[in-house]
Amino acid sequence: MRRLIAAGLLALTVLGGACASEKSETSSSVSPVLVDGSLPRFENSVTLRVMTHDSFAVSQSVLDEFESATNVRVELVSSGDAVAMTNAAILTVGNPVADVIFGFDENLLGSVLRSDLLQQYRPERLENVDPAFVIDESGMATPIDHGNVCVNFDRGAFLASGTPIPSTFEELVDPSVKNDFVVEDPSTSTPGLAFMLATIAKFGGGDDATDGAAWLNYWKQLKANGLSVVDSWETAYYANFSGGSGKGDRPLVVSYASSPPAEVSDTSLPVDQSPTGVVTQTCYRQTEFAGILRGASQPQAAAAFIEFMLGGSFQADVPGQMYVYPVVTSTPLPDTFAKYTAPVDAPLALPYSDVAANRERWISQWSALFR
Amino acid sequence: MVRTLPLADSRANSSSRRFLWWRILAAAPPLLFLAVFFAWPVVAILLRGLRPDGVWDFSAFGEVVADPTMRRVLWFTIWESIASTVLCVLFALPGAALFARYRFRGKRLLWSALLVPFVLPTVVVAVSLLGVIGSGGLTGVNLSGTVWAILIAHVFFNYAVVVRTVGSTWSTIDPRLEESAQALGARPWRVFAEVTWPLIRSSVAAASSIVFLFSFTSFGIVLILGGSTHRTLEVEIYDQTAKFLHLDIAAVLALLQLLVVVMILVWFGRSQRRRSVLFDQRSATETEKPAGTPRQRWFIRSNIAFIAVLFGTPLAVLVVRSFATPEGWGFGFYRALTNSRGGSTSFVPPIDAIGNSLLFASIATAIALVLGLCAAWAIVGDGSAHSETRFSRWTDTALMIPLGTSAVTVGFGFLIVFDEPPLNLRSSLWLIPIAHAVVALPFVVRLLVPALRSIDPRLREAAATLGASPRRVWLSVEVPIVGRALAAAAGFAFAVSLGEFGATAFLVRPDRPTMPIAIYRALGRPGEYNFGQAMAMSTILMLLTVVVMLLIDRFRPASVSEF
Repeated sequence: MRRLIAAGLLALTVLGGACASEKSETSSSVSPVLVDGSLPRFENSVTLRVMTHDSFAVSQSVLDEFESATNVRVELVSSGDAVAMTNAAILTVGNPVADVIFGFDENLLGSVLRSDLLQQYRPERLENVDPAFVIDESGMATPIDHGNVCVNFDRGAFLASGTPIPSTFEELVDPSVKNDFVVEDPSTSTPGLAFMLATIAKFGGGDDATDGAAWLNYWKQLKANGLSVVDSWETAYYANFSGGSGKGDRPLVVSYASSPPAEVSDTSLPVDQSPTGVVTQTCYRQTEFAGILRGASQPQAAAAFIEFMLGGSFQADVPGQMYVYPVVTSTPLPDTFAKYTAPVDAPLALPYSDVAANRERWISQWSALFR
Repeated sequence: MVRTLPLADSRANSSSRRFLWWRILAAAPPLLFLAVFFAWPVVAILLRGLRPDGVWDFSAFGEVVADPTMRRVLWFTIWESIASTVLCVLFALPGAALFARYRFRGKRLLWSALLVPFVLPTVVVAVSLLGVIGSGGLTGVNLSGTVWAILIAHVFFNYAVVVRTVGSTWSTIDPRLEESAQALGARPWRVFAEVTWPLIRSSVAAASSIVFLFSFTSFGIVLILGGSTHRTLEVEIYDQTAKFLHLDIAAVLALLQLLVVVMILVWFGRSQRRRSVLFDQRSATETEKPAGTPRQRWFIRSNIAFIAVLFGTPLAVLVVRSFATPEGWGFGFYRALTNSRGGSTSFVPPIDAIGNSLLFASIATAIALVLGLCAAWAIVGDGSAHSETRFSRWTDTALMIPLGTSAVTVGFGFLIVFDEPPLNLRSSLWLIPIAHAVVALPFVVRLLVPALRSIDPRLREAAATLGASPRRVWLSVEVPIVGRALAAAAGFAFAVSLGEFGATAFLVRPDRPTMPIAIYRALGRPGEYNFGQAMAMSTILMLLTVVVMLLIDRFRPASVSEF
């Protein structure tokens, strides 16, 4: 029912922006822009608007490189976190606030595609990208970076207590780590959602709408073992987690695979381990995408920007700036990443269409257990 | 008592008719402002939800009403906000008396510092509160996830609202009224109940309505301190709008919120009107005195001790953390604030963020003061009994509604209405001070209306009889009297703008962040240094707030005693 209404709403949005949608019909796909493999230079200076979430960051020097090569000035537009940004874009479909949108992940990909938000563009530089990340067959959403949401642990706390560090999902419900684990609410937090999806990918039962679904049984065990649920990554990591800069008393938290390098505050000291580490078996893949918005006033410059994001300097910049990994896997990583992150070989993942179809039901099943 | 002659009566009538026109003219700018920058976006987003295909669709009403979770959310929201309001008034009234009646060392500083919690980003305050009452906190009592944590935080946030609103009215009451009651043998409690209370009731009602609305629309506090079990209507509206884009459900919830808000406002408006009493105003310097008896000294000390515990501990946690670097105590985090991390686009020098915050806050304060004065004047009219019209009542209520509406409803509304010339403002920097002014306006009005109302209309009439033009009456009678309220209003408007986060997060451009946005950005990244920088930036914001409030206090217009 809700979905029907949502579909009706989208239809209205499209009708509502009639003039905007006429404009976009002629340009629902953008032609290649690279000139002999390099960024094109625009005759007249144009301003390109890039919509991002509030954790977006890039080195100014890297952005300057793009601006001076293409004669395009970049203006960033932010609209809250990735979910709010994506929904703001969907609300203004056809008459967008920006030309490029960057930062929606595979959990949002379904609604992005369903609401006909983007124009098709197949970047030439996509051939450098590891095919595992090219998830969208329709050629609308281009993968830019990826990361993993994993359980992090406080190395010092486990060393001090002598408790073995958990290495699997099953060991997280062991009585030895009772009252030790804090997670984010999947309905309000992106890493929280990823961890819930990880349990569904691991234990199955995603098509079971009852409260006896296999993955929910795992959550019941977590709950019985003193799990704490908080609203956001900030609260979990800074107020409840004891590791690194955390001020809390729980040595296990859901965070990112790339969090440990950030906890090494002085890399000149002779330590070969970060104060925190990652339970690699619990990792869930997260890929961030970019696309050209339908109704963009600068589609060519937008295409150039997407090529630029797949280029060497931007890809090399993402680990240091956004704590994520480049999708062009041949890109060299910063020393701290190479040294302080454990390799995640086979992160858990669910098909994005499954997530799009079931996300709300899963969240309400989860909520029934925790509210 | 002066007997009015029939002649004087007819004069009053004709002048009140003239006043009505003045009042409509005065009410026009604030109402127009709210119509464009509040009502239009909100109605547009509600219609998206309720009239998706150009056909009304009310099926979402049934869904919401039938959903026991939603009923629970509504009930929790109502009782938690009533409890917060009652607790806040109970705890803050002694504070108001302290500032109204006594002179003590550090008074001005404390008066300004009270606004600090009001300005700090919720997430920062919540994290420092958790350092006191959370797991592993200073007190050893873990209240996180309980309703107590929410109530304590609401008192913490809103204490200043009550103390400053009621305190500025209380300080204008002639202490001889209370002293004579005492001399006649009334016990202190009876003096308070029968002399002071009737005189401060209307400002208590004004403050309570604001505290209620803030607690009713509480978002960050409930999310962070309430755990996964406590949810307010505001949280639900945010999720349905920004997370799920269920605009139909969100619209129903927003209408429910609006309904409760209007009902409460009408109720408060009634009690405020009925309880307004005219009295001769005195200036604060006349009414305050140093503590004389041991009992009074005890009163002052216990009050300050309460403030120190309630505000001191969480804020001290924050300041201490800003100096606790991994290399030991020092200014490391402050120095890191100026280090650009390899020239990232997300990096903004703190001096720029301070500049942005001050710029937006100045514009927002100016807008809110001008519009607020117009509105307050229109509401009060000439202050006489027959100036209480339906028009003034509805203007009063309408101006308060933005406080009871969620930022996400307005923010998403902005996106869909300001999308075409001539009002293509979606990414204009102007939207930020405008959005702040919408939130600040009710404070200004709430502080000015009781002040204007407490002016004896005979003063105005006397000036008018002596041949003063309305403008002259306003400048020479009203401005000096409302001076103190105006200064308090400017302080609040500035503080509201400095601290606003919800709407700003939707509207700000990444290269022009305000301080709360910059703090939030640092807190969104892992690592000791990012956390430390967020704490350092928050400490700077605290200092900045105190300095600005001290300055505003210093520049307040001359008050009654000076003319």
